[in-house]
Amino acid sequence: MCTSAQRHGLHCILPPYILSQIAENGSPELRAQAMRTLLVDPTIRIIRASTAGPVTGTIARRRAAAGNILTPSPLRTIRDAGGEPEAPGAVIARREGQPPVDDAAVNEAYDGLGATFELFWEAYQRNSIDDAGLPLDATVHYDQQYDNAFWDGTQMVFGDGDGELFNRFTISLDIIGHELTHGVTEKEAGLAYYSQSGALNESISDVFGSLVKQRVLGQTAADADWLIGAGLFTDAVQGVALRSMKEPGTAYDDPVLGRDPQPGHMDDFVRTNEDNGGVHINSGIPNRAFYLAAIAIGGNAWDNAGRIWYNALLDPNTRANTDFAGFARITIQVAMRLYGSDSAEATAVTEAWQTVGVI
Amino acid sequence: MATSSTGTSGIKGEARVKVEGGVAHFPGRAREQVISFDELEAPQQQEIASLASAANFFNCRPAPQPARPDARTYTVCLTIEDQSREVRVSEPIRDPALAKLVSAVRRLSIGRAVAAAR
Repeated sequence: MCTSAQRHGLHCILPPYILSQIAENGSPELRAQAMRTLLVDPTIRIIRASTAGPVTGTIARRRAAAGNILTPSPLRTIRDAGGEPEAPGAVIARREGQPPVDDAAVNEAYDGLGATFELFWEAYQRNSIDDAGLPLDATVHYDQQYDNAFWDGTQMVFGDGDGELFNRFTISLDIIGHELTHGVTEKEAGLAYYSQSGALNESISDVFGSLVKQRVLGQTAADADWLIGAGLFTDAVQGVALRSMKEPGTAYDDPVLGRDPQPGHMDDFVRTNEDNGGVHINSGIPNRAFYLAAIAIGGNAWDNAGRIWYNALLDPNTRANTDFAGFARITIQVAMRLYGSDSAEATAVTEAWQTVGVI
Repeated sequence: MATSSTGTSGIKGEARVKVEGGVAHFPGRAREQVISFDELEAPQQQEIASLASAANFFNCRPAPQPARPDARTYTVCLTIEDQSREVRVSEPIRDPALAKLVSAVRRLSIGRAVAAAR
């Protein structure tokens, strides 16, 4: 029985756990109504009253739904490995809130993690990698002549490049966003790092890595270069970036590195045992699908197109073994759910996947 | 296994390394690189031999690692005197001694790959 002085239809009908789901995932009107109802609950009132404790993702979303937004902030720690092949690095080079230091890699990592945190919070209301305020750790100056960056399950690791073919890996903002997004994917869909699910894992990192850069630069989908890793190559390399989401297979053609092997259509899907079944090769196909969808939708790619991909990543139907076609169906369903079955967004997403031959 | 050779310090040996994975796949870098000890200065020969000894390379058993996004997998084959062994290890390499050995062999291979292609 409803006993509150002000009656709320949702409260009388629905149990709290369903109300919580609506407060997080419903339409704006339903979210606000569910939130008002939830705030009658004494537990939520305590949460709402507490402004000193950690702001977790769920609570933050509920606060946002109630119009009581406490913006979370990143908690960054940048370590310096000093050229040793060890991570985390032995020396803390910069902590959250400290001013820039006299080390470009440290500052780029710090700023890049901040920009990635901001994209996920401000565009999708996700509080860090785990949506619960996980501290963001990175190690720079990893090893010597090390031309790579990777996510080791707990932190991002960046090399300085070999100086011959590659510059330092923090130089490229989208690469920082790419690595951190691997952490998000690991916490959500957990896409297995092999074959199509692995290529999807890679593509999602490219998508949000590119969106981090586009948002910082204030670029619309039409303005963006859609390159991943621009600036990483030295002048000795014949190429512009590691990958092109717009035109997969065109990023480089160099005597040492070889030719960009990415396909942009399922007809050219590469079957291989190398590179964990071609995770960095076949990611060109879903990359191009996102590019096409974002261009067709127009405006800022991190808004509607990014929101569709983000919600698809969180969708319970996206699982460890989800393949391209499975993810395509989920993005279309999400687009219909968010914007309507006959919406321009749903049409754009459907046609993008058709164009690259996935559906 | 290719024939071992004798360098200026008298250490006979050869290192082979193949690097897979990383933040991008470069077809030109996916090839195995071979470094004969004959091509190395004596200090370099000694460094590889010392690092192999410190890592207990010919008897170590690296724990299998799941594939981490963008992490590399190294296949390192070392022949030093009458010992020879191939080890496959993925980043992050938790054993510091083995990490240093892999790093040293990897760096030796970089220049050779570039020189061979240019």
